[in-house]
Amino acid sequence: MIHTTILSWVTFIYFAAFVFYLFRMMLGREFWGKAATGATLAGLAAQSVALVLRWRASYDLGFGHAPLSNFYESLIFFAWTIVLLYLLMEWRLKNRSIGVFVLPVAFLIMAYASIAPGMNQRIEPLIPALQSNWLTSHVLTCFMGYAAFTVAFALGGMYFVKKTAGERPAVFIRLMPSEFHIDELMYSCTALGFIFLTLGIVTGSVWAHYAWGSYWSWDPKETWSLITWLVYAVMLHARLVRGWRGRRMAVMAMVGFGCMLFTYLGVNLLPSLHSYMT
Amino acid sequence: MNKNKSGIWSFFASVQLAIVLLSLIAFFALVGTLVPQREAAVAFAERISPALFSFLQKMQIFDLYHSVWFILLSGLLAVNLVICSLDRFPLAWRRFRMKHDPLNEDVFRDVPEENTFSARTDVGTAADAARFLLQSKYRAVERADGPDGVRLCSEKGRFALFGVYIVHASILVLIAGAILGSVFGVEGYVHIPEGETAEAISLRSGNAPLPLPFSVRCDKFTVELYESGMPKTFQSDLTFLRDGRPVRTAKLLVNHPVEFEGFRFYQSSYGAAPGGKATLALSREGGARDIMNVSAGYTFALPGKDGMFQVLRVEENLMSMGPAVKVVVRSENEEATFWVFQQIERIREMNPDAIRQVPMFNPGLFRPYTFALLGLEEKYYTGLQVNRDPGTPVVAASALLLIGGLMLILFSYARVIWIRVVPSGNHVHVAMAGRSYKNQPGLQKEMQYLLAELKDHLEKRQ
Repeated sequence: MIHTTILSWVTFIYFAAFVFYLFRMMLGREFWGKAATGATLAGLAAQSVALVLRWRASYDLGFGHAPLSNFYESLIFFAWTIVLLYLLMEWRLKNRSIGVFVLPVAFLIMAYASIAPGMNQRIEPLIPALQSNWLTSHVLTCFMGYAAFTVAFALGGMYFVKKTAGERPAVFIRLMPSEFHIDELMYSCTALGFIFLTLGIVTGSVWAHYAWGSYWSWDPKETWSLITWLVYAVMLHARLVRGWRGRRMAVMAMVGFGCMLFTYLGVNLLPSLHSYMT
Repeated sequence: MNKNKSGIWSFFASVQLAIVLLSLIAFFALVGTLVPQREAAVAFAERISPALFSFLQKMQIFDLYHSVWFILLSGLLAVNLVICSLDRFPLAWRRFRMKHDPLNEDVFRDVPEENTFSARTDVGTAADAARFLLQSKYRAVERADGPDGVRLCSEKGRFALFGVYIVHASILVLIAGAILGSVFGVEGYVHIPEGETAEAISLRSGNAPLPLPFSVRCDKFTVELYESGMPKTFQSDLTFLRDGRPVRTAKLLVNHPVEFEGFRFYQSSYGAAPGGKATLALSREGGARDIMNVSAGYTFALPGKDGMFQVLRVEENLMSMGPAVKVVVRSENEEATFWVFQQIERIREMNPDAIRQVPMFNPGLFRPYTFALLGLEEKYYTGLQVNRDPGTPVVAASALLLIGGLMLILFSYARVIWIRVVPSGNHVHVAMAGRSYKNQPGLQKEMQYLLAELKDHLEKRQ
């Protein structure tokens, strides 16, 4: 199927973009930066086309649903939102040095979706529980949140790299935004992610109310989304009221990301109503 | 508010307490996903010592989300939210009510050099340009003309000051909605076989069944499958009756609950109900073929009057080989028990030796008779979740408040900008000051932008 082929190409394009960002970082030549941005843009465009094609293909098969219904599709969409968010940030900040931390994440997710054993890449019809208009809004908001938290995590990593650099830092470290700006960006991403996670939990509750008869049933996925929400709530309180900055924020961004990852993947190890791994 | 705050007051008003409580709730929630809860705890009990199990049970570890610990933490969080909001709200209210005076000279006391510039123009022109610029981004620009120059003041985002209180209130409303639901709500379920009527539901809390003020009949239950065998639709055709008279009929589907007199019905499960009918054909070698409708437990005489046969089981899908009926045939000196498959031809095709290897699969095991299964008429029961939760609208309201409040906190800022234009010789001196209760870097960036715009504009006019 054409969309699967495009998506496997996108994986390589993101890898190339990562390599270009790496070259730019090490050589300090803006030519590589432009190449990296170009590759990322091309990858995102191709991925968008593939998503639309996959959506259309589902209509041709007679099922007709957004490509957000199983684990494979969720990974693809996750990578798409991360790259979209990153490009928006690069454009707003006119700074390319974050790409080298974000693109590998997108590449790894795409690669995992393409080659993981037992990954079901077929377009399948929806079981009755998933046949709801809330599916799209719930998955969309959740993954926007996940993507924002992932970028915040990448920024946290960047903060530590910048922090541990010595007196005379290499070119690539000088190209990074200042610690102050990394911290500000981390906060913006976390705030954005928090809003979207809240929307994701709320849309999920509304859906659960219609599907399972209860807006909250302490299902492990629900519980872990609450844990993630609480961790980020602590992080935002600590910053806005207690004035935490820098290292502590970076640590919190990493803890939150761990919780988010467990909400997304780890919960499948526990018995859950949300087991859509197959 | 009491200025000499007591120790208890400041303890409950502190953000540290909020951070500790949120972390503890997160920790307990985490434990609850690792330790089996409620029904799942029974299997867990067999793997640990009885003493440990009964200790953990006493500590309510197996129903953590309804335990005294969780209620205690939620209660403390509620108190914390109320006290810290009461503690800080008066300040927010004063800031909200504050009139910003353009003639306030204090704000210009420590204006850094970078927030000022000089331009070759007159005061009137510069003031008009500044006013125009402010109006494009702020509301209500106030202007004061004095002998020593012009002062402007504008602001935006006053309501952002309330964002945090809206979010805190929304959490309290959420807790209230959850309490309302757990005290006055009903969570139950009922299984209704097709054609039968239910007058009561079983409760999840395990108490005596709750009689409904009406009755529900399941007229029909339908399962539709995709070609791949995945389920496509589960549908119950229900009739609600009052005093035995039908009042309303409804089609109940997954994701489309039906509400009747305050109770919500959800399609949650289904299964085979006893009493499914099978159509059996019975033929005697060289004789007639009888067709009969049977169900489990029926006993018939064989057509040759040389024995009896009894239907033992009716299976919808036996060992993935399709519908089958288990039959025992008894005569005076013989007894044979065997399965009659509907898809016997297909089984023969896939494994021609099946019948020889497994005599129980031979529909002609009792000579000289041969049985054939022509079809099954499955009878289902529908499993309905039945809820009544008066807290749901309250919780929904809290969600709206929460989202609105968060938007105010995270994406909106209360900001005030002052501009002072004073003449100095044939130049004017422009100074800008600002105030923001949050996001100082954003304010500084904004002021740099405004200054650059204004300077640019004034220089172009020359």
